Amino acid sequence: MRYLNKSITEIHELLKSKAIKPIDLVEEAFENIENNKEYNAYITLNKEEAIKQAKELESKEVDNLLFGLPIAIKDNIVTKGLLTTCGSHMLDNFIPIYDATVVEKIKANNMIIVGKTNMDQFGMGSSSRTSYFGSPKNPWDKTKIAGGSSGGSATTISCRDVLFALGSDTGGSIRQPSSYTGIVGMKPTYGRISRYGLVAFASSLDQIGPLTKNVYENAVILNALVGKDEKDLTSARKEEEDFTRLIGEDIKGMKIAVPNYLMSDIVSPEIITKIKETIKMLEENGAKVDYVDVKYLDKAMTLYQIIAMGEASSNLARFDGIRYGHSKENPKDIQELYFETRAEGFGEEVKRRIMVGSYLLSGENAKIYYDKALSIRDDMKKEFINVFKNYDLIIGPTTTTTAYNLDDPMDDPLKSFMDDVLVIPANMAGLPGLNLPVGFDKSHMPIGMHIIGNAFEEAKIYKLASFIEKELNLDLNPFGGENNE
Amino acid sequence: MEDKLSKEEVLHVAELARISLTEEEIKKYQVELKKLLNEVEKINDVEGYDDDILIANWDSNAELRKDVAGDMLNPKEVLENAPRHAGNYIEVPVVISDGEGA
Amino acid sequence: MSKYIPTIGVEVHVELKTNTKIFSNSINGYGQMANSLTNVIDLGYPGTLPTLNEEVINLGIKAATILNCKIRKVMHFDRKNYFYPDNPKNYQITQARTPIGYDGYVEIIKENGEKKQIYIEEMHIEEDTCKSAHRGTKTLLDFNRAGVPLIEIVTKPCLTDGEEVKLYLEKLRELLSYGNISDCKIEEGSMRADVNVSIRKNEKDPLGIKAEIKNIGSISNAKLGVEKEIERQEKLYDAGKTFKPQTRRFDDKIGDTVLMRVKETGNDYRYFPEPDIPFVILTDEMIAEVIKTIPMLPDERRKKYQSLGVTEINTNKLVQNKTLSDYFNDLLDTEIDFKTASNLLLGDISAYLNKSEKLITDTKLSKERFIELVNLVSNNTLTSKNLKEILVPIMESDNSIPNIIKENGIENITDDTEIRNIIKRIISDNPESVNDYKNGHDRAIKFLMGQVMKETKGKANPRIAMEILTEELQ
Repeated sequence: MRYLNKSITEIHELLKSKAIKPIDLVEEAFENIENNKEYNAYITLNKEEAIKQAKELESKEVDNLLFGLPIAIKDNIVTKGLLTTCGSHMLDNFIPIYDATVVEKIKANNMIIVGKTNMDQFGMGSSSRTSYFGSPKNPWDKTKIAGGSSGGSATTISCRDVLFALGSDTGGSIRQPSSYTGIVGMKPTYGRISRYGLVAFASSLDQIGPLTKNVYENAVILNALVGKDEKDLTSARKEEEDFTRLIGEDIKGMKIAVPNYLMSDIVSPEIITKIKETIKMLEENGAKVDYVDVKYLDKAMTLYQIIAMGEASSNLARFDGIRYGHSKENPKDIQELYFETRAEGFGEEVKRRIMVGSYLLSGENAKIYYDKALSIRDDMKKEFINVFKNYDLIIGPTTTTTAYNLDDPMDDPLKSFMDDVLVIPANMAGLPGLNLPVGFDKSHMPIGMHIIGNAFEEAKIYKLASFIEKELNLDLNPFGGENNE
Repeated sequence: MEDKLSKEEVLHVAELARISLTEEEIKKYQVELKKLLNEVEKINDVEGYDDDILIANWDSNAELRKDVAGDMLNPKEVLENAPRHAGNYIEVPVVISDGEGA
Repeated sequence: MSKYIPTIGVEVHVELKTNTKIFSNSINGYGQMANSLTNVIDLGYPGTLPTLNEEVINLGIKAATILNCKIRKVMHFDRKNYFYPDNPKNYQITQARTPIGYDGYVEIIKENGEKKQIYIEEMHIEEDTCKSAHRGTKTLLDFNRAGVPLIEIVTKPCLTDGEEVKLYLEKLRELLSYGNISDCKIEEGSMRADVNVSIRKNEKDPLGIKAEIKNIGSISNAKLGVEKEIERQEKLYDAGKTFKPQTRRFDDKIGDTVLMRVKETGNDYRYFPEPDIPFVILTDEMIAEVIKTIPMLPDERRKKYQSLGVTEINTNKLVQNKTLSDYFNDLLDTEIDFKTASNLLLGDISAYLNKSEKLITDTKLSKERFIELVNLVSNNTLTSKNLKEILVPIMESDNSIPNIIKENGIENITDDTEIRNIIKRIISDNPESVNDYKNGHDRAIKFLMGQVMKETKGKANPRIAMEILTEELQ
């Protein structure tokens, strides 16, 4: 009997009435994971502990909608006692001695962690192919990439292994793989979810977010993840809200902006066509859609390279083989310990970015590049603020192409940035953004729409997304036979 | 514009990053790093922005912590992930010169 | 007169007196078991983030005020990136762009009485590194100190000799310890000074090559180190030689500086703003609230004590001993004879404290008890000889002072008639002295008083005895 393909409200009722137990869900999840092993979504499974926890839950009251539900966690979010590798050889022996704040929240809601998902090493990459543990494969076509860096989390959701996965998004790492695999992925506003326990890539851009198969479930789990954290000074203090509250509302009169740059010739025609179809549908349903110019969008990738690589070069300096992680054996002196530990532990993409980041911050370069990037970033944010004075939401495509081949060459250092060119601006300005599947290309690979909201207006994004989801009613199960009704 | 960095330039950034490189890697990075840096140069084409900077999208100013002690690790936990330790100490190969910083 | 002009700048790090570390809530402590005062933040574990200790900001405001600095109202932090085993994240969180205090000064008074202002360029908040100990081929790391809050105070290069360095460090130590900002114990490392020294021939010449002296274990070593370094540079230049910018350390054993390393071309610290800590905003109200809590500072204490009749010598002695001075300050709102109080504190009581290696706050001499004692002495009820006899029980027992006096058989004869009778007898027994007195020899009255005391075995109340004696001699 399968339960994990039911809606969360149905599962919740079954658990409440004791018709099923958490252990049934956990066993089903591990069965799914085993069946879909070839997609390589996981680095580490937490089977023993998950089963033990499920049994313990049997004596507890089913007190919330997420109770007893299995969840997968991206492997750059630390889990006490459970291997956390960041997809890298550098941490392939690292057992954290504390839990990330989101993990504490998940545990407090009595959710069950099934495992740690595959990812680009330290989040650096756009196809999860920089993982030390092999690449995840796209469930729609296993010769194609699942995207990245949260490729494993996207894959396990797309495979319908579990209902929920957590990812992290520094420059599109939740939304882009969600687009490639046809699922719903939300990068909330910067500060919405505590970053404490998320291994930092670029501190001013990183944000944790949920990946789910539909919009409602995404909003439900976001409810459980948010909140001010005393341990993260950059987390925001906001009034509690229910992110599902606008779901199902009419979109009539909603004002939506489409930046021209996002619909320019950098995007494949098939995708443009699909987005335009969706826009037409929205207009037919009473939304007001305008094409607008937003300055600096075309510069976002350059800003991202400077800021993200600069911060990364500093954030990843702590991996030195002294306190944890990989360490050069029998180093003859301290310099050898540093140079060889890092040469052995980091993959190519990581080394490249750390070296460029170090260069960009060194000597006078900090002024020439870094300060200038922070300055332009401020103007870009102001541009967005202006757009949101007149519009509720911004939409456009999530990616310029659909998922490409796993064996495409990896020797172009710019490619991984180009894949994220449309979603990076939301990170720069700290805005929430969500990927919603809106159709397929001619080889039946998913196409995603990116919905950007004003800061802390995730609920509005969910409102529009759920409306489109319902109207399109796509079969988003890569193995077939599923729609939302 | 030269299409690659000099060997010395690559070695300099590798030194900053504390990463040792093989001759082969040096050759590869001479080209790859240059490609990235050319891209980054585009920032100099941008005009018309003001002087304000945005360090991060902070929603508010820093909320300060009260000066009250919390839980600490015991020395055993401190050493748990450390590859080399002796007694209660974490160990590294001997460091000759004195600290550079504070 | 030397033909060179030295230029000296001083950088001082002091550890702040807080309960917890600057960016984590583990305990800020000294002398504990290695790696017992840490958490995952201090160890730079992946995923950890800094929080910011309110008390560090408060102490920063106090220090800036005391050092006459301007206070920055909008601050952020910066990362200073460098690889070193004692630097857990391989970056140090500091304030490079927006130091909390800037443009300040402290005033020193030189031996010749000349006053000089030592200008403070800036003072900023940062975190301490961990402690490393070298053992053969290994270095051992103890992270207890990692993340202890520091203030670094940087002077302008405006000092000119070892004496000034010494006076500046003494003044700084006095101010910061009186401000309750730091213990300023050089031997425990809670105050550390680095001194930059260069010399040149002419005011108009550019500054000479710099040598930085580190590892200075005491203030007198700082003076000596500077003097030796100036001498070394002079000799080199005189011999037509030069040297490379370098770091030297003071070696206690040989009493001189030795080369540590030649400075490489400009350390590249790759500073950038710390994204994990939002702006810290100080309002005028916050600053005013904090300033209110600054304790009375040494110069003000000196002025106050002298206005209460304490001698200059005693004033200086009191202020040199912070515990005694704080104790004394507690009495300022009472009406006692402060001169007597200071004599007692610095005389018999200090002798007792030194001998027993105690702080006054560790004895039974409460504020109330001390006031009682001062009054007994100032109205001559208790002689200093009496006091010596009963000091130990006063300092160590819970017994009341009147009881202690009684139990030790020290009871002043205050009965007028009894004393008068004794005095009359002494006057008739010593006609020569009485004659001397009448002829204007003041010494005679002292002799007669001595006889009174001898006769009463010191039990006569001296004030009363003197009154009666003077009367009877008329």
